[in-house]
Amino acid sequence: MLYFTLASKAYARNLQYRGAHMVHNLASASFGFMYACLWIGLGQDHSLGEYGTQGMVSYIAFNQAALWVTTFLTNGLGIPLSVRTGHISLDLMRPVHLFSHLMAREWGQIAYQFVYKSIPIYVLYYFVFQLHFPGSLTDVVCAAAALAGAAYLSICMNFLIGASALWTTESSWLYWGNYAMSNLLAGFFIPLEWLPDWLERIAWLSPYPYLLYVPTRLYLGYGGGSLLWGTLLWCVLMTLVCLMATALLRQKVEVQGG
Amino acid sequence: MNARAWISLYGLLIRTSVRSRMQYKFNFVLSTLLAALIQISEFLMVAIVLYKFGAIKGWSLYEIGYLYAVMTLAKTLYRTFADEVHHLEKYLVNGELDGLLIRPLPVLLTLMPQSFRIMLGEVLQGGFVLYWALSGMMQSGQVGWTSVPLTLFIIFTGAIILFSIGLATATLGFWTTRISELQNITEDAARTAAQYPLTLYPKWMSGLLLTLIPVGLVNYLPSLYILRGEMGPWVLALTAGAAVLCLVLSLLFWRLGLTKYQSTGS
Repeated sequence: MLYFTLASKAYARNLQYRGAHMVHNLASASFGFMYACLWIGLGQDHSLGEYGTQGMVSYIAFNQAALWVTTFLTNGLGIPLSVRTGHISLDLMRPVHLFSHLMAREWGQIAYQFVYKSIPIYVLYYFVFQLHFPGSLTDVVCAAAALAGAAYLSICMNFLIGASALWTTESSWLYWGNYAMSNLLAGFFIPLEWLPDWLERIAWLSPYPYLLYVPTRLYLGYGGGSLLWGTLLWCVLMTLVCLMATALLRQKVEVQGG
Repeated sequence: MNARAWISLYGLLIRTSVRSRMQYKFNFVLSTLLAALIQISEFLMVAIVLYKFGAIKGWSLYEIGYLYAVMTLAKTLYRTFADEVHHLEKYLVNGELDGLLIRPLPVLLTLMPQSFRIMLGEVLQGGFVLYWALSGMMQSGQVGWTSVPLTLFIIFTGAIILFSIGLATATLGFWTTRISELQNITEDAARTAAQYPLTLYPKWMSGLLLTLIPVGLVNYLPSLYILRGEMGPWVLALTAGAAVLCLVLSLLFWRLGLTKYQSTGS
């Protein structure tokens, strides 16, 4: 119940900024639009494999909408800020685990972003690019499960980025580094099978493909549901890492007077 | 105060900014490494498209490498000296601009050296890609030695254009306070778009990128002359003229914007 309250408060807090976020959606949509134009231009002279031009546009559109669930989370789950203010010590004293506490709050944020960012962006693209919805309900269910897993993985990654703030003041660079890596290795702009062999192999050794590539493939009906096992495996692994990081973080915390 | 005193003061402020940054060496190394990583992954996105499809709209691998390198170096030059213009939002939201307004210097001149960035990773990477692209095209006889000074020239004019776009966008913040969304469109998306030949895009979009958000003037338009001999040398004069015009307009706009500044209470 506590976790649900935390999540719903985070959701409600964001509702205050709905107008500003709609403007932001235009910015985000224009980025995706530019990428889609690029693929349309490329598709005029080249064959775009199993996707075709329309498929690549759908691929980009879904990815751009999914970014708000799987990539653009609160920087370090807000830990860097609470380290700077010293609030982190209070957070650690609470009778709930730091990880689950911050996670609950972030789920509220993600739910908000899904409703007020992902969906409007996708609806916009649906009309601009005349997208098709997936043929079968199974595809939608699998994609939804993969997206939920991706959101969880991203929460874990951001928790670790946030935890690094106890060691360095430049943890925001890690956030952007993580974003750059996910652009490349999550198949945001280019499907992973088109990467050079060595890079594709590196990508599959990391959790990144499960952030965007796997949900998108499932949504477009190209992948089997077995891909979800990978998502599950990474979720378990990342959870363990986050729990270990919390234990380390407890020993490192310093409170400065002021 | 004369211009020379301003410049020496500007130099002093930059040195102070660098020294303060160097107090935290580990952070400096970490941020440099990560900036390089981000840069490399950005380049790989372009490189992989080329690796997969070869020429794009008749532009060869070298030519697109050139477009990318010119854009990267121009952006680096702009961000090295004027990174804080891009981060004006935090001054507006927290009312920190007050502190700069009371100094006996033009606000822009005090704002810019607040954080002088040493962007070694970007310089090396952009320089390497430029060297590779130009030497490749020289070997095939596509361009001659004259292309080197011309390239340096368009990097310089490009930095002015990017600075003007950045400044004009930041100035809008005096009315809207929040500008990061707008910067996403006018700086990030537009710059990314201009890493590829503009003929790839629909007509209205390439028109937009040559006029309202003139990132196409940074690399694409001058490259048509430098690399392909299309049009004539007047293109470079046009680019330089446009850069000066952009700068003047954005500075005038900045001056107007400053008069609308409202501080925040606490």
